[in-house]
Amino acid sequence: MAAEIVALVGAVLILLASVGVVRFDDTLARTHALTKASSLGIVLVLVGAAFHVDETRDSAMLFLAAALQVLTSPVSGHLIGRAVYRSGYIQARVDAVDELAPELDQP
Amino acid sequence: MIAVIFGVLLLAGACFAFRLWRGPSVVDRVVAVDGLLVVGVAALVVNALRTGRGAFIPVVVVTSLVGFVSTSVVARYIEARSNDPFEPEQPVHTRERRR
Repeated sequence: MAAEIVALVGAVLILLASVGVVRFDDTLARTHALTKASSLGIVLVLVGAAFHVDETRDSAMLFLAAALQVLTSPVSGHLIGRAVYRSGYIQARVDAVDELAPELDQP
Repeated sequence: MIAVIFGVLLLAGACFAFRLWRGPSVVDRVVAVDGLLVVGVAALVVNALRTGRGAFIPVVVVTSLVGFVSTSVVARYIEARSNDPFEPEQPVHTRERRR
């Protein structure tokens, strides 16, 4: 029962992130919302299942998947944000203060 | 309880699919596909939680790794396309024809 509650909390986090992906009106904000789902939401689902499966081997593999997700989710979020910035999808009102542009202008 | 979790995941997948259909830029579609992959992985894990057997758990590990690699590759592709000094908006065949 406790494992199912933890998995339900993770699923609700994924749902909240998907609502953010639909409702936010900027690409960087959508990326930000998705990163919450792919780090905390999926990790809660994985940990909840890891405490419930029968064999220790399956539980260890679920923890491995959770660790890999924690490691890779910020990296892919950073790469997507970098691609958004460099390809110019940012609207002007978001980056009223842009500290990266003068750094990129220097050779 | 399990049915509630599957329903929540189905709603989340519908939201991501809406963004995939609607998304104005290619980055929005990449974000939506990544979210759909998260929903799929979560559905596999909840199925393992329902049955108590871990036959599909290696699929979970492999799917999350493939999702990371594909997102990184698409991000690199978008970035390289935007940095192309040789007229990035132009299709490839016109460039070859000019040469």
